[in-house]
Amino acid sequence: MKDQRSAGRVLSVVLNDRESEARTPSTRLYRIPDDAHDPFTPHPPGPALRPGENDLTRIAPGRPRAAGEGVVIEGRIVDADLRPVRRTLVEIWNANAHGRYSHVIDAGRNDAPLDPHFYGFGRLLTDDDGRYSVRTIKPGAYIARRDIDWWRPPHVHFSVVGSGVRLVTQMYFPEEPLNEKDYIFLVVPEQDRPRVIGRPDAPLAGDRVFRFDIVLRGRFQTPLDADLDHG
Amino acid sequence: MRPVKDGYTPPVRPPFTPEATIGPFYPGAFVADMPQDLWTVAPLVAHHPQGRPIVFTARFSDGPGRPVPSLIVEFWQANAHGRYRHPNDRSNAPLDPQFDGFARLRTADDGTLRFSTIRPGAHPVGAGLIRAPHLRLTVFASGIDRLTTQVFFDDEALNASDPVLNSIADPHIRARLVATRRTPVTEPGAAIEYALDVVLRGDAETPFFDDWLP
Repeated sequence: MKDQRSAGRVLSVVLNDRESEARTPSTRLYRIPDDAHDPFTPHPPGPALRPGENDLTRIAPGRPRAAGEGVVIEGRIVDADLRPVRRTLVEIWNANAHGRYSHVIDAGRNDAPLDPHFYGFGRLLTDDDGRYSVRTIKPGAYIARRDIDWWRPPHVHFSVVGSGVRLVTQMYFPEEPLNEKDYIFLVVPEQDRPRVIGRPDAPLAGDRVFRFDIVLRGRFQTPLDADLDHG
Repeated sequence: MRPVKDGYTPPVRPPFTPEATIGPFYPGAFVADMPQDLWTVAPLVAHHPQGRPIVFTARFSDGPGRPVPSLIVEFWQANAHGRYRHPNDRSNAPLDPQFDGFARLRTADDGTLRFSTIRPGAHPVGAGLIRAPHLRLTVFASGIDRLTTQVFFDDEALNASDPVLNSIADPHIRARLVATRRTPVTEPGAAIEYALDVVLRGDAETPFFDDWLP
């Protein structure tokens, strides 16, 4: 155990992922000495969100609905002490029903069509109980490497930014045969894999609902506006 | 927690959500909607934060030495007085109304970025220790999970006693976290440029820190 405190982790390389092979540090991470460890993790100014930013199925309120199956993803975000992570920014992005991202980088390597009614990114703030809810289109699978027939299963990216916490992860859907062949899914330790698969819940307004609860490693301190305003 | 018979309480491992790579498709809108230039508080506004303006330039490369484009860096730093705009920072150093300390940038096709900000102040930490001025970087890119590191300035005497920098035993490795001043002489008020090569993997690998709770 002493070693774990004085030295950090060795990061895993994703099998068959050329970017992971070329970019993952090979040296064990350095652990910040306990007496120099302060909790001042990045704390961004909260962006002003517009209504409807947590509904990815329409590019703006009142516009036509995107192609594909609408799904609701909801859950609760808690910290290492299992306390709610309040009023924290959650960013979500995913491919469209055809497995194509709206990002320009996907244009050159994916011949699946764009959907004029789907940009595939949205944001929200958690409520005072750490809860969130987002509506999106269930993403299609897409090919990651043709030469080895590696397909990315349907997945939704999540980014959580807040006081004391920072997490970027991906949520998968249950009962997708591609999950068990996806190298990015398989790099997750086996006992943790259920934690990145949405759990089916009761449908909402005709859409399937998946529950995706998030437990962050940091210890969250609810930012109070009064703390930040006396500058 | 459930104490066992000899009074020992086994550590409980909360069901932490695993991290994953940000992938290649992080939306540009998420970068654009966050600050990217901490010297300019808003377009055409005459106010600036307190402190010395600096420009930090970095080039990110991979194991084979290729530039890493579209890499996301989140910067986080203290203001000129060494105070963080963070609910946990209870120091008596003043906040700066023009300075929040958070920025999010994306590298260009040549793996570089250019960050305009102010030189952060030193600040105390723990028992009698002083943190030298430094920038905190959180790095995301396709192929890697979140990485964190800290960047120092080569014209700073406090580096010699910074507890984080000096926790890296090998001085050659330590030097990889120290940005080089590119501006030998400056007019008063002009920004000083510092540059650093960040190497994600390989012989010249940049040290990264583990910030998971022990």
